[in-house]
This record gives sequence, structure tokens and C-alpha cells, in this order.
Amino acid sequence: MAGHTGGLSARMPKRRTAGSGSAGGDASTAFWLMAPALGLYAVFTLLPIAATFWLSFNSSAGFNTSASFVGFDNYAKAADDPIVWKSLAHTFLWLAYHVVMAGGLGLLLALAVNRLRITQVFFRTAFFLPHLVSLAVVGVIWANIYDPFFGLMNTALTRIGLGAFTQGWLSDPALVLFSVNVASSWQGFGLYMLLFIAGLQNIDRSLYDAAEVDGANAFQKLIYVTLPGLHEVTTFVVSLAMINGLKGFATVFVMTNGGPFYQSELITTYIYRLAFQSQDHGLAAVLCILLSLLAIAITIVFNRWRARLSQ
Amino acid sequence: MSMRNREWPVALALTPVLILILAPFVWLLISSFKTEAEIGRADPFTWPADLMWRNYLDAWQIGGFGDLVGNSLINLVGVVILSLITCAPAGYALAKIRFPGREWLFYAFILGLTVPVQAIVIPLYQVLFGLNLVNTLTGIVLVQVSNGIPFGIFLMRSFFIGVPDDLIEAAKIDGASHVQILTKVFLPISTPAVQALVIISALSTWNDFFLPLIVLISPEVQTLPLGLVRFASTYASDYRLVFSGTVISFLPIILLYILMQRRFTEGLTQGAIKG
Repeated sequence: MAGHTGGLSARMPKRRTAGSGSAGGDASTAFWLMAPALGLYAVFTLLPIAATFWLSFNSSAGFNTSASFVGFDNYAKAADDPIVWKSLAHTFLWLAYHVVMAGGLGLLLALAVNRLRITQVFFRTAFFLPHLVSLAVVGVIWANIYDPFFGLMNTALTRIGLGAFTQGWLSDPALVLFSVNVASSWQGFGLYMLLFIAGLQNIDRSLYDAAEVDGANAFQKLIYVTLPGLHEVTTFVVSLAMINGLKGFATVFVMTNGGPFYQSELITTYIYRLAFQSQDHGLAAVLCILLSLLAIAITIVFNRWRARLSQ
Repeated sequence: MSMRNREWPVALALTPVLILILAPFVWLLISSFKTEAEIGRADPFTWPADLMWRNYLDAWQIGGFGDLVGNSLINLVGVVILSLITCAPAGYALAKIRFPGREWLFYAFILGLTVPVQAIVIPLYQVLFGLNLVNTLTGIVLVQVSNGIPFGIFLMRSFFIGVPDDLIEAAKIDGASHVQILTKVFLPISTPAVQALVIISALSTWNDFFLPLIVLISPEVQTLPLGLVRFASTYASDYRLVFSGTVISFLPIILLYILMQRRFTEGLTQGAIKG
């Protein structure tokens, strides 16, 4: 396989055509223009997708052991594994938290920031800062913020007279998934805010003038002009937030490693655990298929929705 | 007129939100200059008695941050350059050349845009192992480029579609090949797309954690986020090191962003909307 990719990149400088415009010449030009991308993509994405599918029907106890065909055994095993169901439920909850918290905050701040003229750049820049931090680093930061002894969260709550609300943010099984998601959403909302601002700036100003002529107040303008004008961006942000949520891994891995009692285990963290720690590749592959199907379903549903809305 | 009147009430109302959102940065920055005893006193709101610049020196040396930053830079430059080399020609071909199999390729790339990388991680690791690329920066660059290819291709393609076909016809009459049309006509007028691709691939590479976690096992080859997590768990009880190390790992990119915020913002929104 080394030879294969090597061959593709070695041939790259030679891609050259007469540019005759004939159909055959164009097809071979297209092939050479596609070759570097397609070669890399085939080896590191398409092949692994196919292999994951194959792996889900085989049993293998590690990277160095040979696999044997077991039919749907891995799928049956997954259905019997309570942690699979837990991680699936947590993933859905995680998506909902992320869409509401990060997407919602992004929308609210965009609506506010977009009204600013003089200080807009300042607020936009400042609100975007958390998005520049790697989610793994966000995990390190927020693990310290939640620290029960010297962490910012509990001390600040106590200081402003809300001592009753101090919590073991990461040790309480009922709270842990939410707490970790707050960290992820803190990092994520800035991008959604920028997208909403771009959407707001694309709304035709004359619609507001027309609404004003009709005597609409600020609230009516929001409901009848702004929100409908944002529907395409909203669909996009919600689907992006869901896909980002589905990929969520680093904050959980760093802050709780799925604990306590698997209460923050996501499909992604369970895949990692199965694949690289307990080396149950068959079961891990079933979860990989599940994760892919979820991602594909989300993409299709939202594209349909988007198409219908923009008719 | 009414706009100006609305400015200051809104800005004033946003200020507490801003303080809340930036509090983690401020807290970390202040704490990173404290002594171990000051942090242990569990009062995050007191100012450090002396600014402990030593913390930064210690963290930098003990954590090997020089190497981590170096590896992250190599990683970033490699991914950005390879992404451009692979995505621009492919995006051009998909946008402007009719060839058999174009639709199938399009769907194949949509598949990659959708399926999360965690869902293919086992075979991905096996492929890297087979190619002897585990634990190498070459390995991480190739995997991340491949991971970004669907997005990059769609981004370039949607910009190129907007370029009038007349330009191609005119260039062809002058005897230009498709490669020449791409490099001499399309790329020069596609600065926004190239800028978007550079910023988005740079940011996602710089911040990636999952793929480096799988590929980069030894500390000498690790990138910044991975190295910081390892450092923070090794020195978990030495908070001043963890705090200053964390600041080291995000401060450079934040300063860079503040300097170039217009380009970042344009690139990110253009990329997201066009891609």
C-alpha cells in the first residue's frame, strides 16, 4: 500500500494534458486532477469505511490476531451490552444539550451583537475566543473550573451567595454529562454565532423597512422577518451542531473518561475503550456502524428539511 | 440614528455575558502566576503577591513545550499545503470538467463528509500500521489531510462553480491546459476560498486531539493538545505547572486571532457557508 500512495504522489507533477477540449482528453485530465485527493481519500477513508463494515461481522481480539467470520454475533452482543445502550442514550442527550446550549447561545448572541455598530468587532472577537482552544485543552481547563476544592465554579457560586448550588460537578452521576457538555458548548458556540451573524447580514434590509411601514414593532420584526430569514442558516447550524456533537470525544475523554459509572460514556468514547483498551474489535465495529448510521441519518434528515424549507 | 441610540444599552447588557464567558481565561491567567500555596488557599479572586514568571519557565522546560509547538507547526504546515495541493485540483475537476463517474465520486466524498472519523478508527489504525506510519508526523499529516478532503473539495468546488465558463473557453483558445487554467486563472481569483481552506484546515489541525491520540504515541512526536493532556495528568497535583502549561497552549493562537480577526472571521463563515 505504501507503493500505491507513493505512486500517486510521484505521478502528480506529470499530470499534463494537451487541453484539446476533446471528451477523452478531458476525462483523463480530470482523473489526474482527482488522483492525489482520491488516492489519499481511498486509502485513509474509503478503505477504512469498508473495512469497518467487514470487521463488524468478524471476531478479533486485537490488532495482531486474525479475524473469523461470526455473522451477526457482534450485533447481538452489542444489543445485550447495557453500556452500549447507555452510551447511545448519552449521545442523544449530549446532542440535545449541545444544540440547545451552544446553538441557542450562538443565536442569542448573534441577535444582540448584530445590533452593534461601533463595538461589534470587539464583542464578536471576544465571544469567539473560546472556539480557538482545542477541545482537549478545554477539558483540562474545565476539569479545574469544576474542581470541588479550589475550582472557579464552586468558589464563585459561594462568593455571590449561591453556595447552595455548589456541586460535585463531575462526580455527580446525574450531572456529569451536562457539566462536561457545558465545557464543549462553551468552546462551540462562537462558530455558530458567527454563522448566525453572517445569516443576519444576508437578510434583505427592505423587508425591515416594509415591516416598519406596516407598523410592526421590534418583536414582530423578529418573528416575521428575522427568524424566517435565518431559517437556512438555522438548519445548517443545527445539523453542524449535531454532527459536531456526535463527534464529541475529547472533553469527555479528558475530564471524566466516561465516568463515574459510565455516566458520561458516549458512543465515541466507548469505541475508543473497546478498540484500544479492551481490544474487542468486533463489538467496537458495530458501534462504529451505529455512529456512522446516526451521522448519515442526521445529514439526510436535515438536508431534506432544508430543501423543503427553502422552497 | 436609532441605531446609534441602541448601541450602548446593548453593549452594556452584553458586558456581564462577556465577563462570564471570558472568566475561565482570566482565572487561568491569574492563577498561572500564583505560587502553589496561593492556589491551595482556594480563593481564585485574589491577586498573586508576586508574578511567578518561573511557573512558565518550569512548565515550558518540564513539559517539553518547545518540541510540542514544533511538532504542531510541522503538522499544521504539512496539512495546509497538502490540503491545497489535493483539494484545489479535485474541486476544479468536479466543478468544471464533465467525466464519467463524477456523480459517484461526489457521493463518495459526501460519505466522508458525514461519517465521523471515530467510526473508522480501527481499520485506520491498521492501515497506518501496515504503512509503518504509526507514531510519525507523516502519518498524522496524511490522515488529517484525508479527513479534511471532502470538506476541502466541496469548498473549492462551490467557489469554482461560480467562475464563468467563458473564462475557460477563452483560456483554451489561447492554448492553455486545464492545469494552467487552474493555476493561472482560477486560483488567483479564488483568494476567499483558499483563505477559508487554509484557516479551517489550520485551526482544525492545530486543535485536533482524537487522531493524534491514536497515531502519536511517543512524547517526542506529540502535538500541543495531546502533550498538554499528558502533561496535565502527569503533574495533576502541581497546579501552577498545569495552569501555566495550559496558558502556553492557547495563548499563541488567541494572540494570532486577535491580530488577524477579520481574515479568520471571513474565512470561517465563507468556508462554512460555501462548503
